[in-house]
This record gives sequence, structure tokens and C-alpha cells, in this order.
Amino acid sequence: MAVKAVELAVKIKAMLAALRGLREFMDDYPFDEISMKALKGREGAYPFGEVGTYGAAVLGASVSRRSYPRFLSLDDLVLYPPAFTPRRLEKMAELLREPVFTDVSLETELGGFKSAAPLVVASMGSTDIASRYSIQIAKAAAAEGVPMGVGENVSTVRGYEARRSKLHPSFKERVMAYLGNLDGSGGVFIQQNVEDSYDEHWNKVYSDKDLEPFIEEGRVGFEVKVGQGAKPGLGGVIRMRREDAVKVRDKYHFLEDPLTAKGKYVERYSVPGTFTPDILRGTIRMMRNNYPRAKIWIKTGPYRDVAEIIRIASEEGADAVVIDGKEGGTGMAPSAAMKELGYPTVVGLKKIMDARLGGAGLSLLVAGRLFNGAHAVKSIALGASGVYVGRPLILAAMIRGEKGVRNYIEAVKVEIQMLVSALGKYDVREVSREDVASLNQDLARMFGIPYVYSRE
Amino acid sequence: MDAELVDGQVNKSILELEDMVKDEHAFLGFLEKWVQGSWRWVKEDKYRTMLRIEATTLREVRAFLDSRGFTEALAPIVGPVTDPGIRGAKQATIDFYGHEYKVMSSAILYKQYLASSLDKVYFVSPNVRLEPNDSALTGRHLVEFYQVDLEVKGASLEDVISLAEDLVERVVKAVAEEHWRDLERMGRTPPQFKRPFKRYTHAEAVELANKLGCSNPRNTELRWECEKMVSARHGSPLAVYEYPKGSRGFYDREDPGRPGYLRDFDLLYPEGFGEAVSGAEREFEPARVIARMRESGEDPNKYRWYLEMLRENYPLQTAGFGIGVERLVRYICGLRGVWEARPYPKVAGIVSP
Repeated sequence: MAVKAVELAVKIKAMLAALRGLREFMDDYPFDEISMKALKGREGAYPFGEVGTYGAAVLGASVSRRSYPRFLSLDDLVLYPPAFTPRRLEKMAELLREPVFTDVSLETELGGFKSAAPLVVASMGSTDIASRYSIQIAKAAAAEGVPMGVGENVSTVRGYEARRSKLHPSFKERVMAYLGNLDGSGGVFIQQNVEDSYDEHWNKVYSDKDLEPFIEEGRVGFEVKVGQGAKPGLGGVIRMRREDAVKVRDKYHFLEDPLTAKGKYVERYSVPGTFTPDILRGTIRMMRNNYPRAKIWIKTGPYRDVAEIIRIASEEGADAVVIDGKEGGTGMAPSAAMKELGYPTVVGLKKIMDARLGGAGLSLLVAGRLFNGAHAVKSIALGASGVYVGRPLILAAMIRGEKGVRNYIEAVKVEIQMLVSALGKYDVREVSREDVASLNQDLARMFGIPYVYSRE
Repeated sequence: MDAELVDGQVNKSILELEDMVKDEHAFLGFLEKWVQGSWRWVKEDKYRTMLRIEATTLREVRAFLDSRGFTEALAPIVGPVTDPGIRGAKQATIDFYGHEYKVMSSAILYKQYLASSLDKVYFVSPNVRLEPNDSALTGRHLVEFYQVDLEVKGASLEDVISLAEDLVERVVKAVAEEHWRDLERMGRTPPQFKRPFKRYTHAEAVELANKLGCSNPRNTELRWECEKMVSARHGSPLAVYEYPKGSRGFYDREDPGRPGYLRDFDLLYPEGFGEAVSGAEREFEPARVIARMRESGEDPNKYRWYLEMLRENYPLQTAGFGIGVERLVRYICGLRGVWEARPYPKVAGIVSP
């Protein structure tokens, strides 16, 4: 009896621990801010999500944080607006009136694609959650004119054209939902990991007749994945239904053979892929050679030798490098990997700044828990070409479908416009290092920007 | 360099093709009708003659290789893997008892293994490559084609370049002699070559292309356009060797003395016809092959049998090349495109018998 009671107590305790994991994520992740944007769109850029409360509320910047952070983030930087704004005067001379924030141009070029804002929809893969909302996100991203990635394993696990399972869209459905709704700007970049290469994924795409007009127009790119923030150096793992696993058993590593496994589900591992400077260089050359009309993107994680990745990508003529910091999102990663592997997003941004100061001319994007317009403006000021955003779009889609995603992107666009105009500039590409300062001495030193609490 | 180029000029059928593809839409319409009704034109005199010349060509290729001590072997048709170094083309797959098999895009992986037994071996091999849609415009790409694919144990790059030069010279000469009248009737001035043929490094060829006004990045394969321009400036075939890494499959050997460059070559037809032959010394160190597979974005796991074969036959040092049959016949007959150089041609993106 006593043993049973203990066993029950232990079980309950274990379940609570599992729930706590979820709660910790909910508490830590800025759900409220993203939900407000998804629900309210442009008005989500204001507190309470409406302009109407203006004048009816007493507001000010919050000085406290909910919890003590383990590492620093872009929220430890502030924008540093000047009172004197000669560029605003120039803009006024051009417009013949006082400029307002909507006069800020957000148009830019990201990795060989025109983009309506310095924002990219991150390559999300085949996991249930990414897959479920992928069509809504694709349509919204196309309508908003921002580039979008399609992650690894999608074709291999969900099917290239025909669906492998009823609920999940195939690779082609995802890509066409995007390309079919595209207007003047945007483009799609497609990952192929080691297992996808088994199926010649990029070759399939490049010779696909339905994609041909978009390839010819320069709206298609390929993304090499050299790791990701949440688990640099480790491959993905997902749980698959046994019958689905049987179909891909030649291509993936399974701990137990799906043919003989007992359970309903088996765990499928993908390998991280081996890289050396030569392998990366060779891969880019192969891509330029085999797919001359496709843009080349490299996504990488918080590695110590990321500067070399940027250098090689730049020398070989790649179009973009994305650095995903350790707080980057994922469908699944070991806790120890998320906690212990790699450096925070701000450090990735510093690597980008160094590469930029060293003369790198290609698009450099930063990723990892970036979710608002301020993150975008700070990143661009420090040398990034734009931000690479994943999770907020899934949340926005969960909250309000395609409309939620459009709302969210529009809110971020407005936020960027407001902040850039406050800096006295009217083109997002003009923000620079002078526009940021730090609340933290270490970050101030790392970026070589003013520490706001110093005497100087 | 320039003085030696004056003897070449663009063949009139190449100019005709250039003219046709100017209106892409109209050209694709023409091509569609051409390939969809191929049983009609094969009965025309011109194409009946072409088919006979094709037969003579194959006979002469075999006669040449047999005289050099080669053994003809049966070509593989399907297998778990095939040649991945096919410049953006997709492989055709079939269901092999629940496993995905590939239709041979080339027999490269198999000819190396056969050279370990026969020393000098060749296939007359049918291949399938689902080429990118824009290849329909080049006049040089078929989805289904034949190549004579050969491999020589212990040969060097220089050996196989010379072999390719001899083969093209001998075959073109023999076919032209036998079909002199036929060619003239087709409006083709039978080619006559001057040895030695020119040989350029890839870097020199790029420089030449740039000088001719065709800009080509240094580290990539010669673009079709540039290759045509370089070829058009020659009256005899020319070799381009030492391509930068990244432009070829993992099996082309990287020069141990010049990292980043391959011990490989292409032989180009003159008069704007472009690539005839593509070949190389082979990578044979299993660890090198694995690294090269990763460089081309491949999963080494997929090539397990090939890696085991290399390990067991270590060191399997070979060199070889492939020569496309339809391209050779197109050149000999002076045709606009390879879609005129075989019966039932299939081109990218067009459904035809």
C-alpha cells in the first residue's frame, strides 16, 4: 500500500515537472506581445492593442523584468534617438511637409530577393506544428511580400507533391501556397539536408515545370543548413507513425527498425551533416554550377567559427548567411543542447557586425527569439540586413490563422517604421551603429557602442 | 592565341537555332510538334540518311575502341544509385520491390568497377536525365540519350585526353569519308581537322570567353553560352582541362598538387557545337571520396556499395570519359539540335512518344 502511494506521488510529481516545462516556456516567451500583434495588426504596436486608448491611459516604459536572465539579449540594447535630425529636414524638403513614420521605406534586398520589409520567414521543417500552420504562414508571407524558407525533411517526410499523410501538406503545396500568392517582392528558399539529398530534392525542384517560371524570375533559392541555434551540431529528431517510418527507412537513422518495431510510433533521427571549409566551399560551387538561376542561402548556428562561414560564403558568391543564436526556436531539441550549446543571439549579431566592418557585402541575417520591430531595427543598426523569424508566425497562425500572421507582420512593419522615423531616418537601410546604445557594459564594449549609464 | 582562332566560324545550323530560340514561345511550340510527330520526319530523306550515319558512327566508335584493346561490356540500366554529377538534372526513379532505384544517368560508378577486371572497358549506354526546363532551348540536351562511356585502369588525364582526341578525329574522318556525298546533300561541309588540337586550362578558356564578350565566373563551369562562343572560334576540336572543384561530380579527382582544381577535361566540337566529351582521372581514396560526396551535398550512406568496392580494390586508379552519341551525330551532320539526331527524341518538359 505504502509502495503504491509513493509510486503515485512520484508519478504526479513527474507529470507536474513535464507541465512545468511547458509553463516555463509560456512564461518566458513573449506570448502577450505576439498575440496582441496577431489579433490587432497595426494597432498591436500600441499598449492594449489599440490607438483608441491614447490619452486615456497613463503609460511609461517598464523598468522591471519578470525574471533574472541567464544571458543577455537584444532587449539589453536601446535605440538612441537624436534630437537634431538633418535627414528629417532633407526628407521634408523632398516631401514639402513634415515627414511622418509612414514615410519610412522598408523595402530592401535580402539574399537576392526583393523584400517589402527587413524580415524573413524562417525555414520551418516537417514537424507537426510547423507543418500544420505552414499553408497559412506561406500565404500571409507572400501577401506581405517577405521571403520565406522551407525547412529540411518536408519533402522526404510529408511528400514532394502527393501528401504522405492526410493532415499534412506536401512540400509542393507549401511552396505553391507561397509562390502562387506572390506579388512584386519576395522569394522562397528551400533546404535540403543529407536525407533530402538522398531524394535529389534540389534537382527535383530545379526541374519542376510548375516552379520553372518562378526559377526563371529569380524567385527561388536553396538554403544549406549548417546547423541551427537550438541544437548546433545535432540533427533533428521527430516521432513518426510506424507505417510512415517504413516508407523512409532507407533514408533515416532509426533506433529500432520500423519494420520490426512494436510500438505505434518510432523515433526518427536525422544527421547534422558534416562540414569542413572545403565541404562548404564545394557545396556552394556545386550549387552555383548546377542551379545557376537559384539564390544561395546558408543557415548556421551559434558556432565559434562562424566568421569563417561568412568569409567562405562571401568569397564563393552566396547570397545570404543566417546566424541563428542559441535561443532560436525548434520543433524538438534535447534540453541540454538548448541550455548549453552555443552563444546567445546578440553574440551572433556581433559576428555579423564584425563581418560587415570587414567588408562582407552579402546579406547577413540574424535569428533567435526575435519577435518585434525593435529587434529588427537594432539588428540592422549593428550590421544585419534583416531578421529571420519563425516561432512568432506559428503563434500568430495559431491565434488567428492567415489573418493573424498578416496582422503580426504588419504590426512589426509599423513598429519598424516608427522607430526608424524616431531616429530621424526614412529608409530602414540607413540605420547604423550610432542609433543604438547599451544598458549593459559588456554589450557596450562588445559592440563598441555607448553605455547609457556611463559619464562620457 | 588570337591568330590561331581565325580559322573557325559558327556553323549555319547553330545560327539558325540561335535565331529560332529568340522567340522562345514559338520555338517551344515548334519543338513540341517536332518531338510529338517524330514518326513523320524520320521518313524524310535527310533523316533517313542521318540514321544511317548514326549507325556508321557507332560502328566506327566500336572499331576504334576495339583496335585500342577495349572490351565492350553490357551497360547497367537501373541501380540503387547513379551518377549524381549531372548539373542540376533530376534522376528518374523506379520502384524496385519497395526500394527506390534510379535509372542510370551515366554508368560512371559501374565502369570503374569493371575496369578493375577488364582494364579497358566501354559501354554503349542508354541514359536518362530529367534535365531542367531551360535545357530545351540549348539544342544540346536530351532527356534520353546514348553515350559511349569508357574507363581505363592506370591511365592519366593526359592519356585520356589524347584518347578522346584520337577517337573524335578517327571517327569523324571515317564517317565523313564513307558519307561524303550524303553530308554534302544535307548541306554539311564534311569537317576536316588539323592536329594537334588546342588544349586550354579552364582558367584560360574563361579568359578567352571573357575576351570574346561572354562573362563567365572564374570558379564555375563554362556557361553554355560561353562554351558555344569559345567553340565557335575553332575549326578543330579543342580540350578544356583542369576545371575548378564544384563544377563536377565527386568522382573527378582533385589534383593533389593543386587543391581546388580537378584532373578532368571536356573536349569541345568546333563551330559552336560545344561539348563532345567529358572525362577525368578518378578519386580513389575512400576518405577523399567521402569528403567530396559531402562537398556535393550527397549522403555517403547512399553509396555504401561503391565505397566498399573502392576499399576492396584499393588503389583503383582509373581515368575515362563519356562521349554523347547524339551530339556526335549532330556535329557530323551539322544539325540544329540533338533532337534531330535520333529517333523518338525526348526533351525537357515536353511529353512525346
